[in-house]
This record gives sequence, structure tokens and C-alpha cells, in this order.
Amino acid sequence: MNGAIDANSSAPPDTDFRGSKRLTGAAEWFWYIVAAVSYISLGMWHKWLLDWIIGPMWLVTVVCIGPAVVDRARTRFSRRGP
Amino acid sequence: MSWAAHQFEVYAVQAHLPKKMIGKVSFWAIFLGDFTPDFLSKFWVYGVTIKGKHYGADVPHQWHRGFPGMGFTHTLFFGVVVTGVIWLWKHNRAFTVGFLLGYAAHVLTDINDSVGVMLLFPYTINWTSQTWAYAATIDGGRYFDAAAYYSSLGLVMDLFWLVVVLLSWRVLTREHWRTRVVPADARIWASLGRYLPERGLLALYRSIIFYGVCRMISWSAWAHLLARPIIDGVERFGYPFDLSWTGPYWIGARSLAHVSPWLAYPMALLLLGGVYLAAAILWDRMGRAQEATRSRSGTHAVPSTHDSA
Repeated sequence: MNGAIDANSSAPPDTDFRGSKRLTGAAEWFWYIVAAVSYISLGMWHKWLLDWIIGPMWLVTVVCIGPAVVDRARTRFSRRGP
Repeated sequence: MSWAAHQFEVYAVQAHLPKKMIGKVSFWAIFLGDFTPDFLSKFWVYGVTIKGKHYGADVPHQWHRGFPGMGFTHTLFFGVVVTGVIWLWKHNRAFTVGFLLGYAAHVLTDINDSVGVMLLFPYTINWTSQTWAYAATIDGGRYFDAAAYYSSLGLVMDLFWLVVVLLSWRVLTREHWRTRVVPADARIWASLGRYLPERGLLALYRSIIFYGVCRMISWSAWAHLLARPIIDGVERFGYPFDLSWTGPYWIGARSLAHVSPWLAYPMALLLLGGVYLAAAILWDRMGRAQEATRSRSGTHAVPSTHDSA
């Protein structure tokens, strides 16, 4: 697996070693900002969220699950068609 | 104590490694070294309250930074001892040196509050620049501590470390992660890659600074926008800022017996230089010892383009 996250990976640029979508450019910024705004907003009111385990996991969860959910929703809508 | 500074300095260390160590020092070891002092001591500083009864340190600052107490966890002496144990156990240069650098960063940053650390432990006097007030108390807990920190030069310290990282912004890029971070921790990233896609692995690498930025903003916003403290008998809209030395004025800064604050920065810089010099001198020797150990045991590291000394 290490070769797959190595700089010399032969995987297509838009997918990673698992075939999952890579985030780049504006899409990457978007999901990081979504994670930050939601975490900061909730953290101001619920301090228990401001924890060294929850904080990092929050970002990883949003970045992993967010794009996958959006892609699935897009696929479902495009199948239904006009 | 410092708050988000401890998250930012992990990347600052990663970005400012000596040339021959670039791409060869474990990021997770830097993180673990930076995290260990508070992991060992801080749980009891705030303590817990169960059914109205408080369980925790009687004198939080004595427990956290003093001796008797757990103050030895915030000393280079203890950091070097733990680093030595790690080396004897694993003979892994990337992890050992990373842990030492992370540990040193944490200890040296913590000279800034009014309690400071025992820089020359077992000599048990504290070294502090008294830049801001140490504010962990039994009554105030984490909330009051955060309010004081983010109303004082502590906030400036967090921002300083954030600027240091942002000036080295390449350390946060995918390219840096792939070519400098992954090779030094190949096995760990490979294991994590079984469960996470690449975007998740990269987010995990960046998650420490993410957490630091978010907690800094959240706590600051709470302290200055949401909190309604009563200070000198007057209800305030937010805790007042006080960027004076050893501020904020509205708490009594905790302290222990210490040397002149003027000596703290020179000594900290001297020790920082000493740690980097020692790591640089020992680097090649450790590499040879690591290779010899692996040759004897017949094991080799995961192949990596950056693994050779």
C-alpha cells in the first residue's frame, strides 16, 4: 500500500490508491472550511467538543464522508434524470 | 501553560529540521513528544467533579510544574530519559529524534507563563519569563484558564507559532506530506491507509493544526463574545483583553520559586540549540547503530527513498 501513497504512484491523478476521489484546489478548501466553520461554531457552545481527539477526527470525518455523500447524491439525481 | 501553540509547534519543528534530517524524522514522534508532557500531568490539573465533589490537584500549578508534583514531566531531563528508553527499546532513529525534538519544543514553550518549568531539573527551581499569567485553578477550571490565556499575551504566542507555520506553508502541502512525511513513517501511514482514503490520510496529517486553529478561535470567541464574567463586581460583556506582561490583570498570576525572568529566554535558547546540536551530532551514529541492529536481527525498514543515512 505504501507505494500507493508514494510520490511515484501510478494511480490516476483524480483517484487515490483505493480508487477514492482525491480532493484538490477549491473542492479541498471547501471541505476544510466546512469542517472548520462547523467545528468552531459548535465548539463555542459545547466546549467538550474542543478535545484533542474529537478535533482531529472531526476534520478527517468531514473530509472523508462529505465528498462521498455528495457524490452519491449526485449519482442518484443524475440517474433519475429530467 | 500554552494552548494551541503546542499544536502549531509540531509543524514548526517539522518545517525547521536540520538539512540532513529532512524527510527522515517521524512526524508522529514529534507529535507524541510534544503531547506527552501534558498527557502525563494535565488530567489532574483541572480534575473532575462528580456529584459535587472535586477530584484533582489541591494546588494545580504545583502539581503541573512543581516538584513535588508532576513538574518533572515538563523538563528536558525527563524528556531525554524517555527518549533514551525509546531508543533502547526500538533502535529507531526517526522516531527517537522526532520524540526528543517534540518534547523539547513543548518544555521550552512552557517557560512563558508565570509558573514556568524546571529547565535544569533535577535542580528544582523554575525558569519563567512570566509573559502571561498561569491561570489553572480548582474553582476556575478549564474555562477560566482559557479566558485568561486568550485575553493575554498567550493569544499572541499562539498567533506567533501559527505565523511561523504559515511562513513555512509548504509543510502543509500534499507534496510535502507525500515526499517528506510519509517516507519517515511509512509503516504507520501504510497501516492507516487500510482504513482511510488518501484525502483522509492527508487530513489526518493536517488535523493537528486544524484542531489548534479551531480551538484558538472557539475559545477566544467564547471568552470575548459569549462569556459574561463578573470582574471587580461588574458584569462584563466578555473577558477584558490585557496584553501587558504577566497579564491579564484580573487574575492573580500563580507562581513558584523561580530564577530572574530575564534569564529564562537566554537559557531556553541555549538549551534549544543544545538539543538540536546533540540530535545532529548523534544522527549519523544512530543511523549506523540502527542498521547494525537490523542486520543482526535480520529485519529491515519498509523500503523508502529517504531511508538511507
